[in-house]
Amino acid sequence: MNYFYNCYNLAIDSEMPLSEMVALPDRPTAIDVRIAQGAVDPDGLDGAEQVGPFLWVSPTALQLHIPDVARFLVSNGNTILYDPAPGIDEDSVRVFMLGSALGALLFQRGYLVLHGNAVQIGDGCIICVGHSGAGKSTLAAAFMQRGYNLLADDVVPIGNDCHAIPGFPRIKLWQDAADKLEIDTTSLSRIRPDMEKFNLPITEKFVPKPLPVKHIYILRSDDEKGFSSTPIKGLQKFPALHANTYRQKFLDSMDLRSDHLKLCGKLAGQTAITRILRPRQGFEIDQLVDHILADLSESV
Amino acid sequence: MGAIYWLSSYPKSGNTWFRAFLQNLQQDGDAPVDINELHTGSIASGRSWLDEVLGFDTADLRHDDIDALRPAVYEWSLQSPDLEYHKIHDAYTFLPSGEPLVSSKATRGAVYFVRNPLDLASSFANHLQCSVDKAIERMASPDMSFVKSERKLNNQVRQKLLSWSDHVLSWVDAPGLNLEILRYEDMLGDSLATFTRAARFLELPHDRPRVEKALHFSRFDRLQEQEKTDGFKEKPANTPSFFRQGKAGGWRNELNEEQIARIIADHGPVMRRFNYLDQSGVPQ
Repeated sequence: MNYFYNCYNLAIDSEMPLSEMVALPDRPTAIDVRIAQGAVDPDGLDGAEQVGPFLWVSPTALQLHIPDVARFLVSNGNTILYDPAPGIDEDSVRVFMLGSALGALLFQRGYLVLHGNAVQIGDGCIICVGHSGAGKSTLAAAFMQRGYNLLADDVVPIGNDCHAIPGFPRIKLWQDAADKLEIDTTSLSRIRPDMEKFNLPITEKFVPKPLPVKHIYILRSDDEKGFSSTPIKGLQKFPALHANTYRQKFLDSMDLRSDHLKLCGKLAGQTAITRILRPRQGFEIDQLVDHILADLSESV
Repeated sequence: MGAIYWLSSYPKSGNTWFRAFLQNLQQDGDAPVDINELHTGSIASGRSWLDEVLGFDTADLRHDDIDALRPAVYEWSLQSPDLEYHKIHDAYTFLPSGEPLVSSKATRGAVYFVRNPLDLASSFANHLQCSVDKAIERMASPDMSFVKSERKLNNQVRQKLLSWSDHVLSWVDAPGLNLEILRYEDMLGDSLATFTRAARFLELPHDRPRVEKALHFSRFDRLQEQEKTDGFKEKPANTPSFFRQGKAGGWRNELNEEQIARIIADHGPVMRRFNYLDQSGVPQ
């Protein structure tokens, strides 16, 4: 039995249930992406350049091994083959499918893929980016609690028209973040067995249509007591965007670098980018939401 | 032969001071390097380094599963022809596979910084923002780890430190490890000879004028001054200052009799080995 979904504006036909995505009632007439189980060579991808201990990239394909979880082969922007490790649970495979494997597919489809989340503000959206551990998902959940709608969490593809493309309606939230936001996790599913990290469905607060990117915020923690904003100007915007690209390594040998850089340049030209410093500890996530909203209203 | 030299220590033992020296030595510039721009190589537990090399998020893995992948990340450094210098606070431990966490294949050698635990205690208390007694307790705990929470994400991965004694012994007695030991007290008391010995070991320029200049630019009071003016991004949150005293022997004024006795009881054999206790057990 196959399952049909819409995600990142793509019609997906999957052999594996992907419960986080928006399900389609019927098989769509045109399928953009096929996800199928099959053998993926444990020795790597023939004719491709090995760019990491578990990563091979060619102009049209990317192969990634998650040891003891699964091997993925992502090809031509339209196929993901997965090969689960013996005895592994489906949740674990899905975590990496929805992260790195789909992220690679979005690169292959020519998107600029940012590591962050997209929140609807008026008729556009803001994107908050930052390194792993910067508090992006917590911030996304806090925006949602304040009544804002989300387009995507963790992986945000940007199209040629500088619109952010919606992903799927869920946020990955650590127990500690859920505690701070007073979200009860007892009824939530864990992203993987034995991990204190949960799938928070955001179905009611999900925007299914692409929106123009108004402003990009780069989250940084610092030792300062308060919050501060520094607009990034001119040529500095370009490396800032590049540094916050999802898995920069995927671009290596994909023949996509020039397109990627072009799109980075275009987005940098059209969008304000601001670096937000927040205290490293002892702040309320609501204060960060307030700070971003205040900065946004001043910059309009 | 490996490509990585580890700059290894229990926290607050001179590692960051050495990194400031190292970068000044490498750059050989006309002014001291900015302490907020120390790019001597990522810390071994830096999540960004691991994620970038792996191509997937360690945030979706359990601590032990991350450790199992760390040797492969370090071995990837062999792809580049350059030597690398990485700070590490993890103890020298072995994975269930029997392989060292730091990978014997990736490792070219290690400089191990060791400091009198009597002086370390107050500095570590400042670092952790806890009482000196609590710091002493943690230094004795065989389960001491950084980033051990299973409930939240940090920009570093879990690091097993073990007790202070076990941390020291894990590195200095690691089988087959190419090792140079630097006592913090010698870095202070005999700077030129000690830093020159380290630079030579690390296959870096070690001629006298260059080492002297790098030492001058990374003098402790200069680091303190920079921290006072511009802050230090590697300082733990809520700690008043990272570069605190940079002295040896401060314990005589900072610890009470009970604390001194406790540290000696916990760490006596290792203290004796590094001359922090004399043969009759009197602290030096």
